Amino acid sequence: MLFFSFFKTLVDHEVTIELKNDLLIRGTLKSVDQFLNIKLDEIHVVDEARYPHLSAVKSVFIRGSVVRYVHLPANAVDTALLEDATRREASNAAAARTR
Amino acid sequence: MSFFGFDTGPLRDRGQHPATAPGFSQIPDHFASRPNDDDDDDGIDFEDTYDGLGDALDEKDDAFNDETFGGGDDKIGKDFDFHGQTAKVADAMDEEHEVFNRSARKPSVVHSASTQQQQPSRQALPPAHVPALRPDMSLWGGTTISSTPPPPPAAEIHREQTPSARAPTQNVKKYMSLDEVEAEILMSQKPLVMAPQPVFQGPPPQQVHQYIHQQPDFHQIPQHGGFSMQMQNMLRGSQQQQQHMQAPQMIHQQQQHPDHLRGIPTPVGPAGGARLPPHEQLQEPRNVYGMAPHAPASQLQNMSEIERTRFLEDERKRLKRNHKIAQLARYNGLMTPNDKNFITRIQLQQLVSINNADDAANEDFYYIVHSAIRARANPTQPLNQFAQTYLYRQGRGNRRQDNHLHRMEQQVQRAVAAAKARPKASQLVLEGSLGKISFSNVKTPRPMLNIKKNETGVGEQVRKTQRSTISGAGKKTLLLTIENVYNALLNLECHERDRGKLPPPPETNIHTEWEAKRQLLVSKLWQELKIMSPIDPSSNQTHPFIAILSYTKMKRAIQRIFRHLDEEQRVTVLTMIVVHLDILDVVKNGVYQPHETTLPSATREEIDLFASTVLPSLISYVYEAPLRIVIGLLGILLERVDVVLVSKTKIGLAFLTMFSSRAEIVKQSGKANENELAQWQAMYDRLFETLQGHWMGCFPPNGMAVDDVYVWQFLASVAVGASMPQQQMLVGAVKDRVMENVMASKTLPAEIGTQKSANVNLFMRAIGLDVELLG
Repeated sequence: MLFFSFFKTLVDHEVTIELKNDLLIRGTLKSVDQFLNIKLDEIHVVDEARYPHLSAVKSVFIRGSVVRYVHLPANAVDTALLEDATRREASNAAAARTR
Repeated sequence: MSFFGFDTGPLRDRGQHPATAPGFSQIPDHFASRPNDDDDDDGIDFEDTYDGLGDALDEKDDAFNDETFGGGDDKIGKDFDFHGQTAKVADAMDEEHEVFNRSARKPSVVHSASTQQQQPSRQALPPAHVPALRPDMSLWGGTTISSTPPPPPAAEIHREQTPSARAPTQNVKKYMSLDEVEAEILMSQKPLVMAPQPVFQGPPPQQVHQYIHQQPDFHQIPQHGGFSMQMQNMLRGSQQQQQHMQAPQMIHQQQQHPDHLRGIPTPVGPAGGARLPPHEQLQEPRNVYGMAPHAPASQLQNMSEIERTRFLEDERKRLKRNHKIAQLARYNGLMTPNDKNFITRIQLQQLVSINNADDAANEDFYYIVHSAIRARANPTQPLNQFAQTYLYRQGRGNRRQDNHLHRMEQQVQRAVAAAKARPKASQLVLEGSLGKISFSNVKTPRPMLNIKKNETGVGEQVRKTQRSTISGAGKKTLLLTIENVYNALLNLECHERDRGKLPPPPETNIHTEWEAKRQLLVSKLWQELKIMSPIDPSSNQTHPFIAILSYTKMKRAIQRIFRHLDEEQRVTVLTMIVVHLDILDVVKNGVYQPHETTLPSATREEIDLFASTVLPSLISYVYEAPLRIVIGLLGILLERVDVVLVSKTKIGLAFLTMFSSRAEIVKQSGKANENELAQWQAMYDRLFETLQGHWMGCFPPNGMAVDDVYVWQFLASVAVGASMPQQQMLVGAVKDRVMENVMASKTLPAEIGTQKSANVNLFMRAIGLDVELLG
């Protein structure tokens, strides 16, 4: 849930999604769900010359399982908070295991 | 017009198949009385196509045909006459057909074909009858919506009745012969202005009646949402009766009008159409899907300029609306109820996890806190943004929507309750089955890996490391200690957030409970800090607190921890740091090595971080501390720490500055008692003595390039409290540096120059001088 929680805060920020087929798509993150499926608006492909068939596409829905990386906007990430959230996640998981 | 795209128009128009030929005879049967106009030139001549093979047949051996095929005098049965048989039940079949068409949502082939001529205006209908694809509002709990009422049963009856009622009578009778049509055309070309008498023997009143009744039938299939509904309403309303009275004439005109055959409406009434007759209005919506209207050109010409613009404006608006509706309705019905259920289930699952308040703080920690921080930074944004995003996205203040949302919320609450009641097993082993069935839920969409950890092994390891922490061990232990501090801190902060949920002031059990828990958490945090571990001067082990403080993340935590500590604990932290000031990483590493002009970047970062995170907390405490504490701290510092070494570092100097300036402020405020002041003076003298001869060592090497304001601040704070001889000594010691800086400030660019001289001035003012005096 940490990633889901995290990506939700990036809604309306510009991100670059790198897919497992090496396609890089930059666009505004519109929504994300618990499978980390991603909806992007106003997209453009980074290497447009190589993927001309995508130049007319304006928005995409990306299945979470095909994403390799999400390039984050650094200034939209609160690292300290993210550290805390990670700790929390870990302690939750630990608590769940002992339960 | 037809389903298969054939021209199902009257066959005679095409003249390809003889009307009298077998097989299709039943349909052109209506024209049987008419003179046969098939013999036009482009028709296909039988003689041209017949290959003459029949002529070669041997006909003479027919003698025993009777024997072979049965007696010739027997009456020939009709068993083979399938077509004839079919014709008998044609009506029933028609009806069947209609029913089928409706249920299958297919274009009604039969009727569009057979009624085409009878009502020419219907040619403007769209090529296919789009099935009624509208969101089924009953999904939302059966609320009826005023604006789009469901088709009333009355219309249903119409539909059932009309085909059967129409098929035998009007289908046959209403077709006009070409002569009749010609007569009509001629009639209509006469000026219509003189409200024409029903010259045409055509549709008798009862037929008009039928026509109107057919209207709802035709628009039963609502291709364009509200429009047909509106029309139905109109028809169903009280107007209907009125129309029965008024309409005959207009319908009359319409049906006769030649232009209508080509789909071009012409001025209908004497009024010229500024106000369209009801029927004209009824017809308009047939131009659906934003197709260009069949602009009543001649009608437009008859209008005045204003009327025309108004008419066009209305038309434009209407088309725009139609277009919009069509756009919206385009994807209606794409999902089956099953699909919708599936989606709803997922969404509900989602909402269950969201609304699970106690879980939310844990599961969605980052999002919740992040948006809380953002909301604080941007007060215009409401705090419960999350709820808004997920629940009220569509609610534009619409009453109906609100109602649905309310329902939805209730459903969600029920779902949450159900989900909580359900046992939380993640796997199911059915008896006799070979494998396990694992459930997925919203938090663990699909368990991909299930690695069993050796629980006992881990436990032992932890215990071991905990034991070793006390003896002070490696990096891993320290990091683990820091993590424990963070966990305690997070729990405390989480608890602290609940403060807002407490009921208002009157102290109750809840308050005391909350406070007790807070105390517990604070003491836990305190314990995790390991600050109370005994200080063993003989041991060469670093004190655990100082050791963990050398890590960046611990430095960051100090500010947050300080918030929860009481006075005594703060003093303890401060004392602990002061006692170990010379072994504090930022001090130890902050000393410039003999040939160094700058510190390594890692050290510089640590120093900056310490200055920005740890120091402010300490300073804010010291600036409110009583003088005796300052004296005590400085005493410890002088006693146990290598002050000369400390004075060579930025952080060390910051501590010294902190103490001396605080003491000076207390001294000047006059609140301190004599005894304390005397003690302070003694302490100060000791400090001065210790540092005497090392003043220049305070400055970083290559002072011209780096910022040395903290040194001047320190010197100023020392100089303020200094006696006359002390001041002279001080000035004598740093005189060169002062001159150097003053000279430099003149050669350096204006901005840096002013900064330099301002720095020096800090010190000069403290001893009652000014840079200006130096010339």
